[in-house]
Amino acid sequence: MDTILEIQDLKVYFRTIFGDAKSLDGASLRVYEREVLGIAGESGCGKSTLVEGALKLVKPPGYIHSGKVLYNGRNLLELDDEEFRKIRWKELSYIPQGSMNSLNPVIKIEEQMIDGIISHIDISYPDAKEIALEALSDVGLPSDVAQMFPHELSGGMRQRVCIAMSICLRPKIIFADEPVTALDVVMQKLNLQTIGELKERFGVTVVMVAHDMAWHAEVADRIAIMYAGKIVEIGTTSDIFGKPLHPYTKGLLDAVPSLERRFSKSIPGIAPSPLSWPSGCRFHPRCSYKMGVCEEIDPPLIEIEKDHFVACHIYGGR
Amino acid sequence: MKNKLLRYLIRRFFLYLIIFLISLTAFFFFLNLVPGDPVTRYVQELEARYGLATPVSEEIIKEYKEAFGLDKNLFARYTSYLKRLVLNFDFGPSFVAFPTPAFQLILDAFPWSIGLLGVAVIVSWTLGILLGTILGWKRESKGASFALVLGLILSQVPTYLLALILVMVFSFVLGIFPMGGAYSPLIEKGFNLRYIIDLLYHAFLPAMSLILVYTFGTMISQRALVINILGEDYIKLAEAKGLKSNRLISRYILRNTLLPQTTGLALSLGFIVNGFFLIEWIFNYPGIGRLFMTAIRQMDYNVLMGITVNTMFWVLTANFIIELLYPLIDPRIRR
Amino acid sequence: MRIFKSSPKFTVGVIIISILIVIALLEPTINNHRLGGHSSTEIGLYETSLPPSKEHPFGTDAYGRDVFSLILTGLKYSLLIGFIAGGLATLIAVVLATTAGYKGGWLDAFITTVSNAILIIPSWPILAIIVLFVRKVDLFFLSLILAFFSWAGSSRQIKPQIASLKERPYVELARVTAFSDIEIMFKEILPNFLPYIFVGFSYAVTGTMMAETALRLVGLGPADIPSLGQILNWALYAGALAQGHYFLVLTPIVILILLFVSINLINVGLDEVYNPRLKQITGV
Repeated sequence: MDTILEIQDLKVYFRTIFGDAKSLDGASLRVYEREVLGIAGESGCGKSTLVEGALKLVKPPGYIHSGKVLYNGRNLLELDDEEFRKIRWKELSYIPQGSMNSLNPVIKIEEQMIDGIISHIDISYPDAKEIALEALSDVGLPSDVAQMFPHELSGGMRQRVCIAMSICLRPKIIFADEPVTALDVVMQKLNLQTIGELKERFGVTVVMVAHDMAWHAEVADRIAIMYAGKIVEIGTTSDIFGKPLHPYTKGLLDAVPSLERRFSKSIPGIAPSPLSWPSGCRFHPRCSYKMGVCEEIDPPLIEIEKDHFVACHIYGGR
Repeated sequence: MKNKLLRYLIRRFFLYLIIFLISLTAFFFFLNLVPGDPVTRYVQELEARYGLATPVSEEIIKEYKEAFGLDKNLFARYTSYLKRLVLNFDFGPSFVAFPTPAFQLILDAFPWSIGLLGVAVIVSWTLGILLGTILGWKRESKGASFALVLGLILSQVPTYLLALILVMVFSFVLGIFPMGGAYSPLIEKGFNLRYIIDLLYHAFLPAMSLILVYTFGTMISQRALVINILGEDYIKLAEAKGLKSNRLISRYILRNTLLPQTTGLALSLGFIVNGFFLIEWIFNYPGIGRLFMTAIRQMDYNVLMGITVNTMFWVLTANFIIELLYPLIDPRIRR
Repeated sequence: MRIFKSSPKFTVGVIIISILIVIALLEPTINNHRLGGHSSTEIGLYETSLPPSKEHPFGTDAYGRDVFSLILTGLKYSLLIGFIAGGLATLIAVVLATTAGYKGGWLDAFITTVSNAILIIPSWPILAIIVLFVRKVDLFFLSLILAFFSWAGSSRQIKPQIASLKERPYVELARVTAFSDIEIMFKEILPNFLPYIFVGFSYAVTGTMMAETALRLVGLGPADIPSLGQILNWALYAGALAQGHYFLVLTPIVILILLFVSINLINVGLDEVYNPRLKQITGV
């Protein structure tokens, strides 16, 4: 499959009075065309930061420290604001976490959607409105939603509006950050389904960030596992669930309730702080397979079998 | 849905009405409960100023009290005052410019005040919001900290003190602007250009006293609002959408500051009017501020009461009108 | 103490106002020394309208008073009235805000409406009329009515904080242990409020000082306790502007501005420190 976007060693830090918090400390991955790539990991592992970094949405006190985001042969991070703005939404769109507050409370839904559209293509207001209404029906929302204000909609509906907005311009990649976290279980299923269908219906690539492995199992083609600001394993969904390599991945899967096991196991220890990541392999304090070298050297991400990468000393490394 | 809105507005109207009546009543009673009444005080002033050896006779005092209805008991006075006020808009005759009714004096002075105050407030509010938005949006730039510090200082200067400084510097020392009045003594009034320019020329310093302070005050609050809004989720999404800056600033930032700023304006009105009385006095501007000061000096009870009631009324009305605008500004209030 | 480090505005404000307070406290000593026992408001002590000199750093006014000493006295009284009236206003505001916030319900709504009404209605004309018609206005009465109109502004700063503190766990605990309502209010809630009460106090002080100056400027108020506003009034009525005695007018104004600005800096500084959102976004 062709690579549509490549992130190389992206680092996003946050300035604090205690020094820089290295929330994203060198993440690299490739996104293939027309796939659904899931990014999984605990809270604080840097998955949201990864997306925000790639989309240049990082706000102070955060800043992009170094790294490249290659798209269409260009490093997006080197583009100036106006050039990047032109690519936004039309080619790279975004479904935010917490759609509860992601809509402008004082203007109507349709206006917010149209704002996004006419900022990128030169069409008339009525034509833009057509596109917006079509997008709304694509996600299964009735057309009178367009005339409403955000506070008149439920959380689930607001989330769907965000999904609708993200497909208006038929972008190449949609980045979805915890798109169903804040919803109730029924809405979760419904919205996840919609997201999963985006690929089929619009030929779009989806990068979905979520901490719940069950959601990735539902919709993702490949999954990247993140821990402590770095990517520790990438593989197809069946590989990750069937043959998890990294001890952390195994721990994540063990924590998912299943019909077969009676108890789910949680990973011992607590998540480390981005102000001082552990030395060597960052997972070593919590790893049951720890070896001597793990405390000293941070293992690189290497391809163990076709399209299955892992960063762990168990599988060899430099 | 429309019905609920209407009922809500009617309720607010009655609330304002009640506040007005209660304030009026409280004021009336408070005034009459404190030791001293207008006639006696007036006589005392006269005695103090002119050093009269013989005290004014009791009979004369009694006559005056009767003429002004001060001999009846409190409650009767109150009801008669209220009746005259509501039915005839009658504040009673002016003590000093007898028998011109106080109402007439106030009516003559009112347009001058409204003109100056109205224009100054609108200009300040609008300018302040624009400047504050720029300041909040571009807070990294070099001019920003300077503007902020300047604003912090200027917004805290009482308007009348600034008025004194301005008149001192620009009228007395530099002689650029006139020292007072609304127009030159010999000018021909009417709709001609000379008159209008003359009016503006005279109104400039008084207006500036208000505009400088209030613009910076609004600017500072707007900046804080904008900074707060920039941290909101919907701004993040709006940026992710790649909206052009103009759209973003006007529809996503400015529109969300409108409600707090309008509320702020309504609340500041009383405060602005306070300072305005003194500004008119300093510049000898023929509005109700100056009228009030003259009345103070001459202890013209009816005019003073009339102006106070009038001011209370208009400020409350302005607040109410602004409240009426809320549903238009913020759709969340329409319910 | 970290406040001083993290907010230069706060520090500057505190420095300025401390200097002014120290000067005011030293006023009796300085004036005694300079005037030899006379009061600075005594008429005819010196020649009238002298220009600034070594003996009279700001000259003398039209009544033959040394301007420098006069201004010191004015500063003293401005601060005194401001603090007393402000203190009263804060007291009222705290009591009402605590009661309203704690009891909630209709009492809260009532007090809020009353305080909003007082805020909205322009208080100066009312104050002016009251001061005009009351026969003897002494320090206490003046402070009282100033406080009456100022507490509303103070209360606005304090109220929201009280409402939030009501939910804190230790309050629940106290309630369960059957302390009486009043006890809870004063022993548990109040002590945590001190920073906010302080902010309320500084708002009250500015508010009362401004109102007082506005009254004095037009000559209303007890002339035997002259504040800076009163001094300005004397200067203006004696024709200082027309005669070009700008010092007489400028100095009280500058000191008043320093007073207001410094207290406001303290307010803004405190707000910046205690309002984390603002800090995070501005990166201060």
